[in-house]
Amino acid sequence: MTKTMKKFDLKNQAFPGQETPGKNGSNELPLPDHIQDIKDSCPWFQRDFNLSEKDREVIRKYLDGLTDDEIIEIYYRMRDKKELWDGGYFYPNLQILFGTPFEREKDRREQKIWNEEYGESEVVKWYKEAKEKPCVWWLENHIIARHSLNSCMSCGACTALCPAAEFLDYNPRIIMETVQGKNEDAITQLLKSDTIWYCFQCGSCKTKCPRKNNPFGMISSLRQLSQIKGYHVYSIRGRQQYAARHLWGGNLWNRACTLYFRNIEVKTHRDFGPRHELCFNHKEEYFRKIGACPDMDGLLSGRKVHPETLHELRRLWQAGGALYLWEHIEDSAKKQADESGITIDEYHDKVKTEG
Amino acid sequence: MKENNSLFSETGRESLWKRYIKDIPDDGYFLTLSCILGALYPGSEAMIPKVYDLFGLNWGTNPRPESGWSCCSGIAYHGDIMPIEGTLLTVARLWSIAQEIGVDTITMSCVTSFGIHCECRDLYENEPGLKEKIDRLLKQSCGREFEIPKYILHTSDVFYHYRNQLRDNFMKFQLIDKKTGTPLNVVDHVGCHYSKLFPEEHSLGGSEYCEVLSGMATAWGGKEIDYPERRHCCGMGFRQCMISPNRAGTMASVHKKMKSMSPFQPDLIITNCPGCQVFLDKEQWAIYEITGKKYFIPVLTYQEVAGILMGWDPYGVVGIQFHTVPVEPLLDKIGTPYNPSEAWLGINKRQVY
Repeated sequence: MTKTMKKFDLKNQAFPGQETPGKNGSNELPLPDHIQDIKDSCPWFQRDFNLSEKDREVIRKYLDGLTDDEIIEIYYRMRDKKELWDGGYFYPNLQILFGTPFEREKDRREQKIWNEEYGESEVVKWYKEAKEKPCVWWLENHIIARHSLNSCMSCGACTALCPAAEFLDYNPRIIMETVQGKNEDAITQLLKSDTIWYCFQCGSCKTKCPRKNNPFGMISSLRQLSQIKGYHVYSIRGRQQYAARHLWGGNLWNRACTLYFRNIEVKTHRDFGPRHELCFNHKEEYFRKIGACPDMDGLLSGRKVHPETLHELRRLWQAGGALYLWEHIEDSAKKQADESGITIDEYHDKVKTEG
Repeated sequence: MKENNSLFSETGRESLWKRYIKDIPDDGYFLTLSCILGALYPGSEAMIPKVYDLFGLNWGTNPRPESGWSCCSGIAYHGDIMPIEGTLLTVARLWSIAQEIGVDTITMSCVTSFGIHCECRDLYENEPGLKEKIDRLLKQSCGREFEIPKYILHTSDVFYHYRNQLRDNFMKFQLIDKKTGTPLNVVDHVGCHYSKLFPEEHSLGGSEYCEVLSGMATAWGGKEIDYPERRHCCGMGFRQCMISPNRAGTMASVHKKMKSMSPFQPDLIITNCPGCQVFLDKEQWAIYEITGKKYFIPVLTYQEVAGILMGWDPYGVVGIQFHTVPVEPLLDKIGTPYNPSEAWLGINKRQVY
């Protein structure tokens, strides 16, 4: 065992710029004064559900007028602005930037630049080739598909205990039969349907399969194929992937976590009840009270991620084909939005709320 | 000769059980945290290092600030926006950090992560050439190298491992009704990706009789309650809960479990999966609003149960104010002291409401 291990740094003392803790200032959250003026007058820092049609037009016009360099520069300048709070640095603009049309536009453009800069990895080349091949080829070659099916005897054990099959028009046994049938048209139809998107990905089916098949793994592989082929936009549940790409993809790309503690907004989580609202309204205080690092340098909970950590991860996601997939989801969404005569921001809200 | 009337011989039982237990090292843990738990129950996350420190364990999350832990990308993988290669690389980087720290045991607070790490290892074991490919990509992308860790443990495995020592050395209370002296009825809900993906290799007790949570609950004085839908998924479902129009499937699954367990009068539900914790707790409110039925069974993580029994501050350390179903009635049963007027105070007891 080496001695390089560090104890958990609840007070963030190991982080650069944290050598002089103690200048706590007030208990109040720092108000981002330098941003407040812009925030009030500029709607592109509003959450989607607060935006009117007119706001959207203003935002789109503004964003379209910015060069790639400008939008990226503004984003990072804002992101890295910090204030002292409760013995550490707090980054007040993280909350203003996240989940906005502005962040989505920045991500789109920045990820294109990354793809051009770092070129095609061997993984991306494989996915590009796979896109042009028949669906049956994918099922015989994609690593997850290959490991998910030995030989299904159609006993239906997977379906009998599937939680999704109980509540939705969903039947993993039929999906496995369709896959095993290797009929290109039937598989294409399946990929264009809502069916594959109903799976909960819980894995209950894997445990019970007497042939050691993995239906939920196969469905995961089919969902990837559906997106690579652009078939997901044919179904309501499938095109929700555009919202997912920005929800989880945006969090990963900008905050190195698929879920950010500000995602659980009261407006979109009424089902969480009144106590959730009490908590959420002062979440930074309650997070800090129990030792977490809400939008702060540190290691615990919704912390500000170290830039080098984020850079490493972005390189891996680029090499691992995530940016290729996201660009693909983006292109399919743009095409469908154009066909429907709506902007990409309107499309984002449509797929997030329909169904 | 004494006649043996039991269905299974003790030796048979022992040998069966051996298939479902795993080695848990005492010390030397690399800890990766959870994006869900940290977002919704930050107290549960903060208590893991606190408990590790109680035992003076050697553990760490990163060797250098710039070499930090990240999410495993599991939600993105099961939410279908991350190809498996992206997840393999994300996990390989975490394993590389563990190597940098000098440990070969990964402990993660998230059950999705646990499933993802186990799945990555399984793929390396069963796909020739995959390790070399990911080695190459990791090296090219960020100059790192990695080895497959010897042990993949969920943090609930570690708490299970130390359950008796926690009770004997640190706990001031037990899961016993203070007024009646009877054990509290504890329902466990083990996350699917803990017990169902690789039940023989990675789950304590397999998928049917998983003991990781019930073992803790009984060691801490509670009574294990079985009920028909015990092993039913909570319905979290990744894209099902996080894209609002799909959340009905999640609610329906929670409702099914509540209906099934309520006749057994559980005093609490104990969980080890952050996603299950969120929805078993939060959706009880939605069920109340929709059906008028008040189940309101407190749902706690194993860290929270341990923290409460050790007498840690319910609001300042455990963070019970983050719960939708109030935990205070359970504290009353256990007899833990707390001051309800402090529930919604901010830092340094600042009045925020």
